[in-house]
Amino acid sequence: MLYALCFLLFMIGLYCAVVKKNMVKIVIGIMVMEYAVNLLLIMLGYRLGGTAPILGGADADGVTKVVAAQFLATVVDPLPQALVLTSIVISLGSLALMISICIRTYAKYGTFDITEIRRLRG
Amino acid sequence: MKGMTVIVKTVSSWVKMLIFLFGIYIILFGHLSPGGGFAGGVILASSYVLLMLAFGRELVERNLPLPLASRLDCLGAFLFALLAILGLIVGGVFFVNFLYQKYLPGSTFHLVSGGTIPLSNIVIVLKVGASLFLVIFMLSRFRYDSKGPAEKLASDPTIGAKE
Repeated sequence: MLYALCFLLFMIGLYCAVVKKNMVKIVIGIMVMEYAVNLLLIMLGYRLGGTAPILGGADADGVTKVVAAQFLATVVDPLPQALVLTSIVISLGSLALMISICIRTYAKYGTFDITEIRRLRG
Repeated sequence: MKGMTVIVKTVSSWVKMLIFLFGIYIILFGHLSPGGGFAGGVILASSYVLLMLAFGRELVERNLPLPLASRLDCLGAFLFALLAILGLIVGGVFFVNFLYQKYLPGSTFHLVSGGTIPLSNIVIVLKVGASLFLVIFMLSRFRYDSKGPAEKLASDPTIGAKE
């Protein structure tokens, strides 16, 4: 059910990126799609009632330094979180690139409407 | 773009050091608690963005000039590669944690217990903080440069023919 909601969010972003004519709205749609995928990945690693995968001093045995089994039984999966962190970094870079392209296009044509940007200048 | 009102300037001059200090804490404890190189670098860059919003771009440009930021960016990438190749030379494997338990013995959950991981966090901070600062700085400079096509064409007739 929740995965279907992620898919719905992705579809909203896709609709925004395909149908809208404003370049800034297209960028927002692409970012909504990326965040929908990130949300799906995070939810794949989630466990109901789980805690954050941070190993504190109380979670390991003081003498043998072995991680407590209770910690391993309740913690959520940290691998999708690391993957999503990388994905957030890459989406930040692509967002900066898209925004700079929008700014340069506006400086050249004076509009954000992609239907009016048709003539080649220069 | 000469900055905001005196309220914003006063509060941001109080808050900027706290933000910077919090970023440094996030970096140094990145291997023990949530955080690390990327988050700390974003926080450090955001302290500069706060200064840029409150005091204008010229003060930030005097404080951290663009060539210096660009050099820090390149230095971060170079030192990260150097750390990886040092792992290859010393430990035999690319990116191996060659300092751990051999040169820097530290017990679990202490600050000096990560080997090369805090070093790579610091290097990633150089890369991420400088490049994010450069991105936001250049975006604000684009806005300054772009006056709109009509004025630009009127003021400079070579632009239409160039490029």
